[in-house]
Parts: sequence; structure tokens; C-alpha cells
Amino acid sequence: MEAVVEATDLEKVYGETTALSGASLSVESGEVFALIGPNGAGKTTLVRALTGTTEPDGGSARILSASPSAVDRDRLGVLPQEFSPPGRLSARELLAYYSGLYDDARDSDDVLADVGLVDAGDTWYENLSGGQQRRVCVGSALVNDPGLLFLDEPTTGIDPAGRRTVWRLIEDLAAGGTTVVLTTHDMAEAERLADRVGLLANGSIVAQGTPENLVREHGGSSRLTIETAADPEAFADLEYPVERPERGRGRSPDSAVVVRDIDPAAIGTVVDYLEARGIEYTELSWAEPDLEDVYLSLADATERERTDRLADGERGGSGQSDSDESDIAQAGETA
Amino acid sequence: MGRVGAETSAGWRSFIRRRTAVFFTFFFPMILIVIFGALIRTDPTGEGLFTEPAAYYVPGYLAVVVLFTPLSRMGSEVARHREGSRFEKLATTPLTRGEWLLAQTVVNAAIIGLASLLILGLVVLLTGAEIAFSPLLVPYILVGVVCFCGVGAMLGSYTDSQDGAVAASNAIGLPLLFLSETFISLSQLPGWFEPLVNLSPLTYFARGVRAATYSGAETSAVAGVDPALANLGILAALAVVAFALGARSIPRTD
Repeated sequence: MEAVVEATDLEKVYGETTALSGASLSVESGEVFALIGPNGAGKTTLVRALTGTTEPDGGSARILSASPSAVDRDRLGVLPQEFSPPGRLSARELLAYYSGLYDDARDSDDVLADVGLVDAGDTWYENLSGGQQRRVCVGSALVNDPGLLFLDEPTTGIDPAGRRTVWRLIEDLAAGGTTVVLTTHDMAEAERLADRVGLLANGSIVAQGTPENLVREHGGSSRLTIETAADPEAFADLEYPVERPERGRGRSPDSAVVVRDIDPAAIGTVVDYLEARGIEYTELSWAEPDLEDVYLSLADATERERTDRLADGERGGSGQSDSDESDIAQAGETA
Repeated sequence: MGRVGAETSAGWRSFIRRRTAVFFTFFFPMILIVIFGALIRTDPTGEGLFTEPAAYYVPGYLAVVVLFTPLSRMGSEVARHREGSRFEKLATTPLTRGEWLLAQTVVNAAIIGLASLLILGLVVLLTGAEIAFSPLLVPYILVGVVCFCGVGAMLGSYTDSQDGAVAASNAIGLPLLFLSETFISLSQLPGWFEPLVNLSPLTYFARGVRAATYSGAETSAVAGVDPALANLGILAALAVVAFALGARSIPRTD
């Protein structure tokens, strides 16, 4: 398959803040690639480097067989993260406006229908709800029927129904051969839409692969969460490993113990164990590992490494800020 | 031209739907004419300010919109685009920075053209100014708008907020307005100030418009060329430079 997006060792530094630190990825034609990672990981900066709206300090990037600054923009669709179009144009007028910037564009009413806003077409953008506004912005990236689409947090602020509209839209685009690169904090979104996922942390991609492979390699084992005040020591005789989740980390509540590597068919033995020992509990829940576990595992590990380095005074001249990456990007990027 | 048309249409609709902006765009020059032309009045026999016949000050009244409207509108428009990541979006479309600035200039030219008609009518009506409605007024206003839209784009690009852009446009616009042979003649300024007056693009607008509209103007020819045409040429050259620099200054991203 032909690589439509190719980035090698991208570096970007804003002042003393490193936004990208050797980020590399390759996205093939027709693929949906999701970038996940904590705030400040460098997702937006990476999208900007790939779309030619920021100049990397090092490394190289090519999209659609050209450098990002020289790519044929008729083939490119981009939704910036904090995009806010003119407020006193209606949704229909805005889509017509962005259509008008291309030599060959779709009918703006068709795009309006795609993003599920036919009924709100004549409402000024500033009077739309936050979710509707975001859908107009998504539509603005689709007016030219792009072959390569970058969506930076496309469903942020959109309600569940609207989110599913956008998901179906992206699935339809992918089915039609459009290559999609999206960033998201919604693991369900990444898991549902992406052929491959890249986890960005501290400016570099620390893991990438299909959601299934990432879960298999980094997601850990299945878990049975028991909401109880009892200590893990109370489960010493249980034949499965039991742990108390670290406070503030992972997905289980603090007042819970987690039984690992347990098959659902064996849950009954755990219930029997609890009752036999009089251990009180309020809820049992079993789950297979998923992308969120991968995210928490790898992002936590990277964050801990960074914290340890800082604590050891090994930070050197540059480090990754905890601030939102859009703040980082706003620090100094002008033409 | 389709891209410029789309951008122009969006810019025009956005402007006319901001009623306060529309109102004050036209109210500002009107109130100046009422204050200077009708309340203070000119006194051709006296000393100090406003000693010339009313027609002398027509370029000054026009300069209020030709200078201030592009400076403040472009400055705040660029700042608004930056704050909404609109340039980041536009940078990924075929629209170039020059085309964007051209579209905004067309919008400004339409607004300022209407305001100029209003000003000319009011000046004649309220001050009794006797002016010639020279066809050269049209290119002077257009070229002036191009020039100051370029300067406004630079102001918006190099300031960090809408507030900053408006403050900067006032700080630059006010001295230019009064020190460019608009309301104050060169003879009323210290001799050493003349080179600075010659640096202002608005000076050539004022001299040229005065030469074209006021029969009593004592504007001198430039290298033997009629002052109404020569000053237009100088202003056009400055406009090309300002437009190019303004387009170049527009950020591709925030």
C-alpha cells in the first residue's frame, strides 16, 4: 500500500518547551489513523506539522507525495482543533463560503445533510449549540471531498447522537477510500473508527498498531473489579492475582480490588469465595482490556518516566509542559 | 477570482450583520464633520487651526475613513482570525494570503466608498465647501484603501489581540491623520517636521485629493507632473508595497 502520510523524526520546540521529539508515523492510503495521547503530548503540533501550518525544527514529513507546504490543497481537508469560523454567517453560508475556496467543491447542502444539520442550516453559527458548531466545522473540512482528511478532535463537545453522526460520516468516507488522520481523547471513538492507533506521549509516538494488537500487547489482562472496603490480603487464598488499584490511576474506583486474569465463567467461584469469608461488596464488574487500558498504561508509564527524570534533575534544557498543547502552539507560531 | 469572491461575500455579510460596527463606521466621520465643520467652523481670515476655506479640509474628512476604517477593521479582523484559528484553516485551502487580503480590501473599499459619498455630501451641505467632484476621487479612495488595508493587516499580525490591534491602529492613525497635510498645513508645522510629513502615505492622498477637488489648492507639481496625478502615482507605489508587506505578514497559523 502507498503511504499517504509519512513523518520521520519530527522535532518541534517552542521556547523551552518540546512539543515534538522524534515523532514518526506512516499512514497508508484509505487508512483511518487515530492519534491518542494526553494533553500536551504534541498531537496538535504533529497535525500542524503534517498539514504545513507549522514548520518542524527537525525531521521530515510528506503528505500525498509532497511536502506539506507544497501539497495540492484541493486534495486536503483539515479541521483545526480550536477552529471558530465567522459567527454571523449561517451554517449553510459557512459551508458555501468554504466550498467557494476550491475550484471543485461539493454542494454545500449535501455537506450540511452529511453532518446532520439540515434543520439548522439557516441559523447563524454563533447561535448554534456547541455540538452543532463543531459539526459545521467538520463539514468545512469535507466541502472539497478531500482524499486526505485531518480532523483534530472532531467530536469534542458533540452530544452522543451527534457524535455517532460524525462517526458514521467518517466511516463512510473511509469506505469510499479517504485517508483519515484524527486526534481524539475518546478511546471508544479511536477503537471504533481507527484501522491503526498511535499513542503520542512527550512528543513522540510510543506505540502504534491496530487497536487489537495494542490491546493485546499493552492492555494487560481481563479484570474483575470488586467494589469493597476489604484489603487485597483478604483474598490471599484466591487462585487469581488480586491487587488494589493505585489511587488516582487506572479505571477502578479507589475503594475496590481488582482480580486479574479471570475468565467470566469463573466469576461464580469468586462470589462463593466472598460469601464464604463474609467479605462485603457492593458491585462486581468484569471487563476485557481495551484501548483505554492501553492509554492509561502507556501514558502513565511515560508520565512517570518524565516525572522521575524531573525529580532526578535530568531534565536538561527542554521538557514537555503539562499545559494544553494548543497553548504551546500559541506560544509562537506565526508566519 | 472565485476564491476572492467567496471570501469577499463572507466578509461583507459578516460586516453588515455587526450593526454596531456598521453604525460607528459611518457615525465617526459624520461626528467629526459636525464638530469641525459645523460647530468650530473654518475662519479664512483668522489665525491658528481651520484658517483655510472649507474645501481645503475635504481630504482630511475623507482621510478619516480612508485611514481609520482599514486600520481598525483590518487590525481587528486579522486578530479575530488568529483567535479563531481561521488562518490555520485557510492555510490548508487554496486561498492565498494575498487573495485573502484582496477580498478584505474589496469589502473595505465598498464600505469606505459609501462612507466617502456620505462625507462629501455632508461637507458640502454643512460647511458650504466648494469642491470639484473629480473622477480622480475614485482611484484616490481605492488606492488609499489598498494602502491602509496593507498597513492594518500588519498591525493585526504583529499585535497579540483585538484590543491590541485597535489600540495600535489608534496610536498610529491619530498622528498620521493630523500630521499629513490633512487638517494642518505644512506651514503650521516646524520646518524640521517636513521630512516626516513626506514619509506618510496619507500626505500624498491629501495633497492629491486637494489638487483634484479644490481650485485654491497650492499643491506643487512633482517632477513637472500634474500634482493630482503625481501624488496618485506615489500613493499607488506605496500601496503596492504596503499590500505586499501586509499580505506577507498574515500568519499561516496561530
